[in-house]
Amino acid sequence: MWARPAAGGRAVAALRLVAGALLCWLGGTAHAAADPTPAHAPQMQFVPPAPGSYQLQRIQRAPDAVLVDAQYRQRRLANLTRDKVTLLTFFYTYCTDAWGCPFARQLMGGLREQLLARPQAAGRVRFVSISFDPTHDTPEVLRLHAGQVPADSRLPWEFLTARGMRELLPLLDDLGQDVRVEYDDGGRPMRTINHMLKLFLIDRDGVVREIYALDYLHPATMLNDIETLLVEERRALGGGR
Amino acid sequence: MKPSRHFLALAVIAAFAGGVYADETCNSPYMSKLIKGQEEFVHVWTLGVEGLGDGSDKLVTIDVNPRSRNYGRVVHSVSVHARGEAHHMGFTDDRRYLWAGGLGNSQIYVFDVGSDPARPRLVRTIGDFVERSGYVGPHTYYAMPGRMLVGALSNSADKGGATGMAVYNNKGEFVARYDMPKGEVGGVVGDGYGYDLAINPAKNALLTSSFTGIDNYRRSLGEVVGDPAAMKRFGNTMVLWDHKAMKPVQILSVPGAPLEIRWSLKPGDNWAITAAALTSKLWLVKQDADGKWQAKEVGTIGDPAKIPLPVDISITADGRGLWVNTFMDGMTRYFDLSNPEQPKQTYAKRTGKQVNMISQSWDGRRVYITSSLLERWDKAGEDNEQFLRAFHWDGKELTPAFEVDFTKEKLGRAHHMKFSARS
Repeated sequence: MWARPAAGGRAVAALRLVAGALLCWLGGTAHAAADPTPAHAPQMQFVPPAPGSYQLQRIQRAPDAVLVDAQYRQRRLANLTRDKVTLLTFFYTYCTDAWGCPFARQLMGGLREQLLARPQAAGRVRFVSISFDPTHDTPEVLRLHAGQVPADSRLPWEFLTARGMRELLPLLDDLGQDVRVEYDDGGRPMRTINHMLKLFLIDRDGVVREIYALDYLHPATMLNDIETLLVEERRALGGGR
Repeated sequence: MKPSRHFLALAVIAAFAGGVYADETCNSPYMSKLIKGQEEFVHVWTLGVEGLGDGSDKLVTIDVNPRSRNYGRVVHSVSVHARGEAHHMGFTDDRRYLWAGGLGNSQIYVFDVGSDPARPRLVRTIGDFVERSGYVGPHTYYAMPGRMLVGALSNSADKGGATGMAVYNNKGEFVARYDMPKGEVGGVVGDGYGYDLAINPAKNALLTSSFTGIDNYRRSLGEVVGDPAAMKRFGNTMVLWDHKAMKPVQILSVPGAPLEIRWSLKPGDNWAITAAALTSKLWLVKQDADGKWQAKEVGTIGDPAKIPLPVDISITADGRGLWVNTFMDGMTRYFDLSNPEQPKQTYAKRTGKQVNMISQSWDGRRVYITSSLLERWDKAGEDNEQFLRAFHWDGKELTPAFEVDFTKEKLGRAHHMKFSARS
C-alpha cells in the first residue's frame, strides 16, 4: 500500500535527477528574484485579552477528507474536527526548518502540557498533525514520529497522512495552506517542502476560528483563544464561565 | 522504481503551488516572503477612462526586470469590464492572489498572480461588500492568515465618512465587520471615519486612519475645496485597536485626514508614521514609557499654506527613511527618519505634474511612482499626466529608468502598484 521510506545513497541521487527533470517539466526553471526573509521568533510585547472577553471570527468550515493514522486506520477528518476544540497543522517528518515544523511541534508540545494542567480543558481539546508528504510519511513513519509524543487520552494528538496527493491537495487548497518545493542554486529541487507555517484553531462545530502564522504564534494568546472557545461552549450550554 | 513516488509527490506539490513573491515595505507582516532582490513585474491597478481603450478598470502588468527584453513595457492587461474607480489592492497571505477594489462600485476583484505573475487572471469578483458590511468604498486590503481585512471609506446609509472594516476569508466569503468608533475612547471622541490600516503583530496593535466619505471623494476636488461644509467632513482621528479582540482601545487626535500608515519594520521599534493630507504634516504614533499610544506632529511637508496634499508615503526597510509624494505640486520628497521624532527632508524632486502612489524596492534602490489620485480629483488638461515612472535611487539622486505613458497606451489612470516575481 505504501512504499517503505526512501532508500539512501545512489538510489536517492538517481531519483533526484528524475525528480529534477520532472519538476523542470512541470514548473519551469527556477528564478532568482526572491530572497526569502529569514524567519524569526514571534515577538510578543503585549498582554493578551482575557479568555472569553472577545470573540474569535468564524473564518470558514474545516474541510473533510479521508486520511490514515499511524495504525493504518482510515480516519475521517470531519470526525477529528468536531466535538472538541482542535488545533490542526501540517508538517513533514523530515522538516529541519528551525522556524517550521520543529518549531510548531515544540510549541504544540508546550501548549499541550499547559492544557493538561488545566482540568477544564481535559477531554475537550485535541491536536491534529497532517503530513505534507504522503509518500515518505507512511503510517509506519508516522508511528515512529508520534511515538516521541507521550500518549495522554485527556488531550489526544493525532498524526495523520493521506493515501496520496489526490486526497491531500484539496485539503491544502481548501485551508489555503501554501506549499512549494525549494530549489538549489542550480535550479534542482531540494528535499525541502517550503511552506508557510500555519496552525488552525477549530471549534467543536468544525468551524475554523483562528489561523496562526509565525507572527501570531504567541503561546499565551493561543491558550487564551482555546480557553475562549471553551468558555463559549460553556456559555452555550448555559454554564456561564 | 517505487520510491520515486516521493519526488513525484513533491513535483505535484510544486506544480500545485505555483509561486509569486512580493513586495516592498508596506505589505502586511503576515505575508511569508518579501522580494529582497530584483522585482520582475509591477502590477498597476488602473482606473478606466471613458473613450480610452475599453474604458474599463484594469490590472496592468509591466515588466521591470532589467535583464528582460520587455523591460519597461506593458506585458499584460486584464480588464474587469467595468469602470468603478479602481483604487488600492493587496496580496493574500500566501501571495497567490491580489485583491483589488473599486471605490465607486464597491466591487472587489481577485486576480490570480501566483500561477503566472506575467499574466494575472481575474478569478473572482466579490459583489456583496455593501450588502454584507453596510460599508461603501473598499480601500485597503491587508492580509491576515487565511483572511483579508478590508478597510472602507464610507457607508451605504448616508454616504458620509462613517465606516468600518470588513473581514473576508481567502475564499471570498464574508466573515465579520467592525465599525470605526464614534464614541469616546481614551479621552478622544471618534469620528467613525476610515482609510488605511496596518498591524504590528508584536504589539497586537492595529492602527487605522481616516479620510472622507463617498459624498466627497466622488465629487470634484474643486467643488469640495470650495464647500466649507464638505471640508468639515474629513477624518481627524486615528484609532489604535486591540487586534486580537478587534476592539478600539485608544482614539488619537490627528487632524487633517491622516492617510497611509507605515509601521517601522526595524525590530524593536514601536512606532508608526503617517501624513495628514490637508495639513501637510507628518505624525508619529508611538508608545510612551507607560505603554500608552501617543500621536505627535513631527514634521512639515512642503508649504502647508499651498496645500501640497501629501498622498502616499513609503518607508525604507530599516525604518530610517521615508518617501513622500505630494499630489498638487508633483513633488517627491525624501525624509531622513534616523530620529523619527524629528524627520528631516534631505531631497526633493518634481517627478510629475501630478503624483500619487510611491513604492520602493526592499533595498531602496528602485522607486516607482504613479499619477492618479482619484477619478474626480485628478488634474485636467495637460496637467492630467497618467503614467508609471521608474527611478533609480543612489541615496542622492532619483535617476529616471523608464516610463509608461498610460494615456498613450490607452490604459487609463495609473494608481496602486504591487510587485511580483516568479519563484
